[in-house]
Amino acid sequence: MKKLLATLLLLPLGVCFVRADEKSLEKPKTQTVKFELVPSGHFIVSVKLNGNGPYNLIFDTGAPTTLITPRIAKDAKLAGDAKDKPLIPLFGMMGQVKVKEFSVGDVLAKDVGAMIMEHPTVKAFSQEYEKKYGSIDGIVGFPFFAQFKMTVDYSTKEMTFTPNGYKASDVMQDLMQTMMSSMGSKPQPRVAAPAGLWGMELAKSKDDEADGVDVKAVIAGMSSDAGGLKTGDRILTIDGRWTDSIADAYTATSYAKPGKPVAVVVKRDGKEVKLTITPKLGL
Amino acid sequence: MKYLLLLGLIGLVLSPAKAEEKKDPPKATTYDVPYRLTDTKHIHVRVKINGKGPFNFIIDTGAPALIMTEAIAKKVGGKTEDGWTTFDKLDIEGGLSIDKPRGVAVDMFQLKGMNSMGLAGVELHGVLGYNVLARFKIEYDFNETKLKWTPVDFKAPDPMRIKDKNGGQGGLEMIGTLTQVMSMLGGLKPNFTVHPRGFIGAELESKSNELIVKTVLAGSPADKAGLKVGDRIESAKGKSLSSSQDLLEAVKKLPEGTSLKLSIKRGEDTKDMTVELGKGL
Repeated sequence: MKKLLATLLLLPLGVCFVRADEKSLEKPKTQTVKFELVPSGHFIVSVKLNGNGPYNLIFDTGAPTTLITPRIAKDAKLAGDAKDKPLIPLFGMMGQVKVKEFSVGDVLAKDVGAMIMEHPTVKAFSQEYEKKYGSIDGIVGFPFFAQFKMTVDYSTKEMTFTPNGYKASDVMQDLMQTMMSSMGSKPQPRVAAPAGLWGMELAKSKDDEADGVDVKAVIAGMSSDAGGLKTGDRILTIDGRWTDSIADAYTATSYAKPGKPVAVVVKRDGKEVKLTITPKLGL
Repeated sequence: MKYLLLLGLIGLVLSPAKAEEKKDPPKATTYDVPYRLTDTKHIHVRVKINGKGPFNFIIDTGAPALIMTEAIAKKVGGKTEDGWTTFDKLDIEGGLSIDKPRGVAVDMFQLKGMNSMGLAGVELHGVLGYNVLARFKIEYDFNETKLKWTPVDFKAPDPMRIKDKNGGQGGLEMIGTLTQVMSMLGGLKPNFTVHPRGFIGAELESKSNELIVKTVLAGSPADKAGLKVGDRIESAKGKSLSSSQDLLEAVKKLPEGTSLKLSIKRGEDTKDMTVELGKGL
């Protein structure tokens, strides 16, 4: 137990965002799904698991994982495939499954990881809404919707989904992997790396809490100079991103690819001025 | 155990307080809202409340309202009445602004747990739930670096409270405390600091699989280390390079004040040099 706790404590650290640009060969088509907005402000979608169902699930952009209740796991004959069963089955946890065909409305996603468990909050929802909508049996989370370009519109109570080829990595695996690789080491600060060369130096004093960062120097002939940036300017945003600290400004430039013009808003003599700067390849 | 941890990541919240809400008619512009996926796969956007911040929030259709920690609500001067806290202004990064938003000041156990261990890789201060999200059509695509928010003409009815007989979240709250205790026992504090990467001061050019130095900025770390225009950079930190991307990758985690070993070709000669990374970008 102690060892387990120790291992768990090493969890922080590391970037594990996986981004795959692979595009599927079929032409992506956009599909619409109607949802049911319930009085508590949540919304419910109709889900099929390997063709079984339909079941009512809550759609939750704040859920890194997908949950299904033991009831529908059994109904969809998934309970037998559960892996990684916990030793102490709190909240009726039965482990994880990969659902081969996970459909929300007519939108099909393949191999969606889901946890089987009795989530107390889901249960409370189900009890509240059972009479009107039928039982509510889980949460649709990131492993499903990350595979699509998705829109959510409460005014029409519709979502649209277009396959985008994004491969979502498994949050549990990521956390465990990060943990293993960071064993015995102290959490290190992150480093924000500009994607291009700007030719400027920024400054901000510790007690300065106003918006933006100061331009301390502009190197003659480089991108920032060419874009009209001047020493003494206060940079407020880069490409629409707030630059209220030096770390923020560097983070904003990490998205600005060399050769691509970006909007930079500065405060100069009390007025906001919009500049366009094209960073160069370099560092 | 790990499942408990994972449970603590699900931002599902039963209900806020009760009350009614009136809003201004929305404008029909689309805003590009920058976001990041946290290490825990939450959609993280930045907000300012009453001009203060930025604070880190999660987009959470599983939450009924704008929810922030009690400390933040207090810091920005929110006014609490009937369980709702009202603010003057909510700015969302990307140029979007909401007047007189209402929210709930409560310390969500999910955020408490994640923050105590630094699981998300960033300190989280709250969530944007239904009463904010319902006023927009939001487009998500994780191949892009920004979300698209378009105001829609929708008067979102107030979220209703669900009565949970047991109160709270059926025992889930303990996860937040559990993780907090665990990290205290381990004496580990999460590290949310972000350092700027170090500066070299060289413009580069990629030509037929070679990485060539195009410009060396006068007085820059590259200049001091002896890098010259026309040098071909062959390896960094002992690893051979085949593109500018490789070099950027090799330097990505080096903050100001660290050093970088480079191996270059100048004419027929091979030279090794050490660049002391400075300030700038």
